[in-house]
Amino acid sequence: MIGVSRPLARMLMIPRKGLAAQRVLSRGLHFGLLLVAAAGVLFPFLWIFLASLKPPAELARPALLGFWPTGANWAEVWLSSPFPRYFLNSVVVGTVTVIFALWVGAPAAYAFSRFRTGGTALRFLILAAQMMPPALFIIPFFLMAYYTGLLDTIWAVAVAHLTFIAPLVTWFLISFFEDIPRDLEEQAMVDGCTRWQAFRHIVLPAARPGLSAAGLFAFVMSWNEMFYALMLAGGHSKTLPVAIAGYWTFRGVELGKMSVAIIAAVVPMLILSFFVQRFLVRGLGGGAIKG
Amino acid sequence: MSRQDRALGRRMVIPLLGVLLLVQGYPLAFAAWISFHDYRLTALHEIQWVGLAQYRGLLDNPSYWTAVRNTLIFVSGAVGLELALGFLLAYALYRPVAIQNAFRAILLTPMFVTPIAVGLMFRFLLNSQLGIVPTALRALHVEIDWFGPDLALFSLILIDAWQWTPMMILFLLAGLEALPTEPFEAARVDGASELQILRHLTIPMLRPVILAAVLIRMLDAFRVFEYIYAITRGGPGERTETILFHIYRVGFLYFRLGEAAAMAIVLGAIIFILIVLLFYILRRQEAPA
Repeated sequence: MIGVSRPLARMLMIPRKGLAAQRVLSRGLHFGLLLVAAAGVLFPFLWIFLASLKPPAELARPALLGFWPTGANWAEVWLSSPFPRYFLNSVVVGTVTVIFALWVGAPAAYAFSRFRTGGTALRFLILAAQMMPPALFIIPFFLMAYYTGLLDTIWAVAVAHLTFIAPLVTWFLISFFEDIPRDLEEQAMVDGCTRWQAFRHIVLPAARPGLSAAGLFAFVMSWNEMFYALMLAGGHSKTLPVAIAGYWTFRGVELGKMSVAIIAAVVPMLILSFFVQRFLVRGLGGGAIKG
Repeated sequence: MSRQDRALGRRMVIPLLGVLLLVQGYPLAFAAWISFHDYRLTALHEIQWVGLAQYRGLLDNPSYWTAVRNTLIFVSGAVGLELALGFLLAYALYRPVAIQNAFRAILLTPMFVTPIAVGLMFRFLLNSQLGIVPTALRALHVEIDWFGPDLALFSLILIDAWQWTPMMILFLLAGLEALPTEPFEAARVDGASELQILRHLTIPMLRPVILAAVLIRMLDAFRVFEYIYAITRGGPGERTETILFHIYRVGFLYFRLGEAAAMAIVLGAIIFILIVLLFYILRRQEAPA
């Protein structure tokens, strides 16, 4: 298949010193590539942070780096605007949605991982449910919220988020439950527990890392979601993404305040993401791709 | 499996099925019903059965086809670029390098940022008056109108790649790390070059992971909305009007819910095919190879 004499030939043609130089060069390129990519990722964040400290007059002159930093944008967004309210809305929507999703999703994921309840059909349904586009549901949701009086409340957004959060959490948890040894609950059942008790008191606590990873990732997804939130809520019931969009409209631009709002929305999610990253591949792939 | 277990299994699945029926089944049926009616938010008392008229109407609606075309360009451009960059960076992260973990953590961050913030950050960075990028380029005597008619869709693709290449890196890196070591050692003993190994071993062995990652990204890219809402609102002209944005415009700016629902059902059908493919790939991957 591949010639055995190749390394020999290569060694004969390229002196050892050249090979070493080549290796240093390729290692340098390798490091350089990652450095450029990391700079490309970090620069927008850095620029937004700088913008949040600039007085409005300086923002019109982008090339200017030397400016006198001001906390005015931060103070205004946090102290004298409804922004904290929107922040709280996002917290409530995410928390309520995730807790409810875990509550219905965890038993279903367990039943699937242990008994194959519903078989392939259920598994497909769960995957399809989390992937279906919001465009399909938004019009009925809008009308349902309108007729039930929930339009322009955060509860309409929470229910809408359940469309993808509930199946997402379930899909994640299936792979985590499969990793929990069956001996654990069998032992508990020998000791006199019912299967349900074994699930409730033995398996669920053992699955805590998986439950929190699924819950945190679902929280990030709900926090970042804008399409449903834009159509179903407004005024005081805005969530963060909708509030952020409001800083740059045809009516005007408030770059400094927008930057503060972006940082406030992004930083908490980046912190949460560190706890989730290593579970993500397995969770998203439904256990099919080992992470 | 005992009868009791089977009964318990059913009871444990029912709450989830109930929720899905309520938040997905019912709305889906409702959306299908609306798509067969002339249903306008401005005339809720004159809802009329029109059968397939609104679906047929899509066929000779040029704006719809422009949106379809833009969406296909966006999805293929963005996912293609993300796959290429993602593979390059995942491979770079896979091989030992200094401060590997720091690089990994930094390169993954964009996928956790709310997309509207990504859209607005780049609208700011690339803005021809306020943005640092055009200002810097002007100093080099290069004049680029990032959101003008020629480049707007391309700029949106770049923005999508900034945010979602990390997802590709995540999947491909996990795939690389899960590869068995023996075939690679054997190939090296046989004197295969790095490039030969990449072409004849690594990529073929990664194929299922690549396919799954590409499909997951395609499913996401089909519902691109936030960047367009944040930056171009479909313009200039209809250059960046995508299907989801068009549905939003027709349904929520023009209030023609029936027509918007018909478009949503068509989009749902396309996405459904992709989901079936993804499911098939994930299942095959799970079966011991």
